[in-house]
Amino acid sequence: MVSGAFVEVPAPVRSREACAAGMTDTVPASPAPWQRVRRIAPPYLYLLPAVVLLIVWTYQPLAQTFVLSTYSWNLVPSTPMVDVGLGNYERLLSSPELGRSVWRTVIVILGMLPFTLVIPVAVALLTRRVRGRAQGVYRALVFAPMLVAPVAGAAVWQWLLDPSAGAVNRVLGTDVNWLNTAGTAQLSIIVITGWHVVGFAVLVVTAGLAGINPDYAAAAQIDGASRSQVTRWITVPLLSPTLAFLVLMTVLLSAQWTFPLIDTLTQGGPVGSTTNLYYLLWEYGFRSHDAGLAAAAGVLFFLGFIVVAALLTRLAERLSHHDD
Amino acid sequence: MTTDEVAGESSRGRRLGGHVVLGVLSLACVFPIYWLYATSLRAPQDVYSLSVLPWPLSTASYTEAFAKNDVLGMLFNTGVIAVLSALGQLLVALLAAYAFAAWRFPLQRLLYLMFVGTWLVPFQATMLPNYVLLSRLGLLETLAGVIIPTLCSALGVLLLREHLNGFPKELLDAARMDGRSSWSTLWTVVVPALRPALAALGILLAISAWNEYFWPAMVLQRSNAVVQLGLRSFMGTEGNDWGPLMATAGLACLPVFVLYLVLQRHIVNAFVRSGLK
Repeated sequence: MVSGAFVEVPAPVRSREACAAGMTDTVPASPAPWQRVRRIAPPYLYLLPAVVLLIVWTYQPLAQTFVLSTYSWNLVPSTPMVDVGLGNYERLLSSPELGRSVWRTVIVILGMLPFTLVIPVAVALLTRRVRGRAQGVYRALVFAPMLVAPVAGAAVWQWLLDPSAGAVNRVLGTDVNWLNTAGTAQLSIIVITGWHVVGFAVLVVTAGLAGINPDYAAAAQIDGASRSQVTRWITVPLLSPTLAFLVLMTVLLSAQWTFPLIDTLTQGGPVGSTTNLYYLLWEYGFRSHDAGLAAAAGVLFFLGFIVVAALLTRLAERLSHHDD
Repeated sequence: MTTDEVAGESSRGRRLGGHVVLGVLSLACVFPIYWLYATSLRAPQDVYSLSVLPWPLSTASYTEAFAKNDVLGMLFNTGVIAVLSALGQLLVALLAAYAFAAWRFPLQRLLYLMFVGTWLVPFQATMLPNYVLLSRLGLLETLAGVIIPTLCSALGVLLLREHLNGFPKELLDAARMDGRSSWSTLWTVVVPALRPALAALGILLAISAWNEYFWPAMVLQRSNAVVQLGLRSFMGTEGNDWGPLMATAGLACLPVFVLYLVLQRHIVNAFVRSGLK
């Protein structure tokens, strides 16, 4: 649903001068300053609400996070903020929790890739022949989990994975406490998140496939390429911008997707085994009320985001030159 | 489809294989949802049953869920948030997208990049200052505090701008010839033509607002005013009361599923009916 916006390069603004000039120019232009304002102001006025909201709720807080990260403060308005310079960063970087949570974040991202990339590509390629009404039905069914509220999803999976009465253990004949064992808790979180998004990813890849000009494959087939050769050397390369988008989405949103599940199912446990970077940040801010430390972690998170997004966008741009 | 005819047998095999793959995936995707509703409809003594069909059907779990929590109140609050938030986001995004599409002005590119740039600002990097600001404004633990910070949807602005870029300029010019103001052009020319896109975007935004967890959890910390949070606290306090828990979870998803059925048809109709693309 967030499709394309990351990799999209804004199209050059087409010439709309005629239109722009005309919009309010029903009176012949006069040099009076009021007339000038009347002519220039409209687009800015239309943009005003959005830009004010953007500054108040996104950019100004971002700047404040940078400031807050150099203070020690417990979020209580009446207590003073103490300037500690880079103390929070030193504390953060020397904390063993940080390294572990970053590692767990990486695990979650790698664990998500089968659901956001491997399965969707395989399914989309294998099911190209399915069209018409049947396709519409499948489409509606696989997309449904995306619409399930995360907490409702957590509730039903807690029931399915219940150690004694849950359907999973009873069907498998096992006795595993999935959500309360350090080894399986992370796996469960990944699978549940994967269940939420896999259908959406399938639809993204299917749309990507539908956008590929069939002439390329037809031409290759006339030249004697086999079906698998066409898939390997034509279809997948042409699909690479879509794949890059899915990877970017996985990297940037995995921590966000898992948050409601972790908060309701494991609270970061057992023994911290599901505490990823995102959850750690939340704990610093709203459990330990350590605003400075949470802000410092937020700044690192933001910088990491920028680096990853820049790398992947560059990759996507390089890949998308295939279809020129 | 000439390759189909030539390939004949093997193509039919591939299509069958496709049905098997999609069938298995659909089943895996839908089963937990089915199990949620199946459990919620079992009689209390059958909750632990593994039979696929919940029989005999019983609404006892729903009665109990309503008795234990103010489910209707939570659904109403969540609905108010979802509708107001979606309408507000639509209006703000429409005005901004109109500005970008109908004029050329200094700083346009910079302002546009401000919207694109929000993708790079993770929510967790801004949550603390936002929380502090809300508490200064006295909006913590209020529904307004949940709605207001979400009102600018960058996704909405970018999507609507894309739609508006495909908008025939002749119509805007014709409106100008008629001597209409830009404001009246927006409402009498642009909005009617954009209605399908606005409806689709509005539904998307409403569903996201309905399912939103993180921000309401922050703003409404100790209250159960919205259904996601009520469900969470129900899970915490009565975690093993599966029947009523599944009934509450089922109700929390129901409006979205109903909307989804309408949405699919709506989008198809919208695109067929709209003369402009």
